[in-house]
Amino acid sequence: MLEVEGLEVAYGDLQVVWGVSFRVDRDSIVAILGPNGAGKTTTLLAVMGLLPAKAGSVRFEGEELIGLPTHQIVDRGVVMIPEERAAFQSLTVAENLEVGAYTPRARAEYEETLAEVYEIFPRLAERRKQSAATLSGGERQMLAIGKALMARPRLLILDEPSLGLAPIVVEDIFGVIRRIRDRGVSVLMVEQHVEMALEVADHAYILEMGAIVAQGTGMELEADPRVQEAYLSL
Amino acid sequence: MSQLIAQSIVSGVLLGGVYGLVALGLALSFGVLRVLNVAHGELLMLGGYLAFFAFREWGLDPFVSLPLVFVVMFGFGVLLYLCLFRFVTRTETHTRIKNSLLVSFGLALVLQALAVRFFTADERTISTAYSSEAFTIWSIRVPMVRLAGLVVAIVAAFVLEWVLHRTRFGKALRATSEDWTRAALTGIDVRRIYQIAFAVSAALAAIAGSMVSLGYSVSPSIGLGWTLKALIVVVLAGLGSMRGIVVAGVALGLVESLSSVWIGGQYREVTALVLFLIVLSFRPLGFFGRAAGA
Repeated sequence: MLEVEGLEVAYGDLQVVWGVSFRVDRDSIVAILGPNGAGKTTTLLAVMGLLPAKAGSVRFEGEELIGLPTHQIVDRGVVMIPEERAAFQSLTVAENLEVGAYTPRARAEYEETLAEVYEIFPRLAERRKQSAATLSGGERQMLAIGKALMARPRLLILDEPSLGLAPIVVEDIFGVIRRIRDRGVSVLMVEQHVEMALEVADHAYILEMGAIVAQGTGMELEADPRVQEAYLSL
Repeated sequence: MSQLIAQSIVSGVLLGGVYGLVALGLALSFGVLRVLNVAHGELLMLGGYLAFFAFREWGLDPFVSLPLVFVVMFGFGVLLYLCLFRFVTRTETHTRIKNSLLVSFGLALVLQALAVRFFTADERTISTAYSSEAFTIWSIRVPMVRLAGLVVAIVAAFVLEWVLHRTRFGKALRATSEDWTRAALTGIDVRRIYQIAFAVSAALAAIAGSMVSLGYSVSPSIGLGWTLKALIVVVLAGLGSMRGIVVAGVALGLVESLSSVWIGGQYREVTALVLFLIVLSFRPLGFFGRAAGA
């Protein structure tokens, strides 16, 4: 459903992404893994229209996304959760969920989606009236995901969902990501937590120095000696 | 003496209400777009002239023309955003302040020159049949037309707070002011929010201008002085509370007015600036300000 081809992104004269291609199939979880500074976040920001692409194409359900403003990409059903503090700190939990459903398409199904989100995260319902700034790290990530679900995504993009979270919370979050996929939302995530990401991902890509250097199913990559040496402490 | 002090407290509070009203608009454009519009006072000046000419040419009472002034200057604000400030907001947040200073300073000069050319440099005041009416409590005069400025400021602050906290648009506006990138990723059309916030900011300046030309006077050169007052009020109050802005405006009016009684009229501006520096050193986020995430 998402096809990225030959994507090149530069900050001024400094090119960071060099011809990256990958795809996300319907109902699958795809992970992009790699070290810090490999261009993972940059790639995601270009997909979302927040950074201009120098070359290449990003097609979602056959439609070219490059050139569309970010809010229209969200309206198409591509929703990204940026890393850390994805929810608005100056808004309450309920207000965050309300603005999460900002596009006309999401607004039309606001009530049902809200009920679903509260069902997935009962904790958010309890803290409805609280400011997002008062939440714990794990609750913050739940709110970030809940807010993204309010936009009625067909493809959910997560940037480092495990960042700064305790291992047990990370387990929970990955469990939620699986549940979201099972509800018919495809998932694309960037992770440094390679072992765990390979476990949940149907397909994964390794990005180094702005280029894809390896790809395969989670099991294939786990067995790949290069991946083992560089990322898995075996 | 106590009579004089009581009278200057009243005048200070009334003038302070207008300070608050001017500052509401500045807080909106600064808080949401992160641009510093030093031509804000010139927008007040234009609004003042609009109300003045509507009164003189068409006999429109300044309270009747208030919605008209709001709408016309809202439109002018949209135009200014599309022609000038749109380009400033394309840059990173930290370069916006510098760039907007240059752009809006130029705009202030242009508007001022045009006002001299078309409206002449004369000082203008709207004199209605009720302009000299006042009520007196304990032999303190409260002029009606100046009281109106304070009332309009309070109403404007409550309406703004209601919109910001009770409507979906207002929540999106608060989200955008916290972080425009995350707002865009939420599906909010950030440019549209900017456009509307800037236009409302211009319209609020103009409403303040109406009240200034009714209770005080307008001339082409008054802009910078009002911008300065608004800036001081925004720093005193901090961003985040509209009611706080009006309270800070009243406080500034009071301090100025009392200092001219106790210290001397020539020091009123100095006292205000000293207050500004003191607040800046001890409460850099203002009295009602909140840091993002706090």
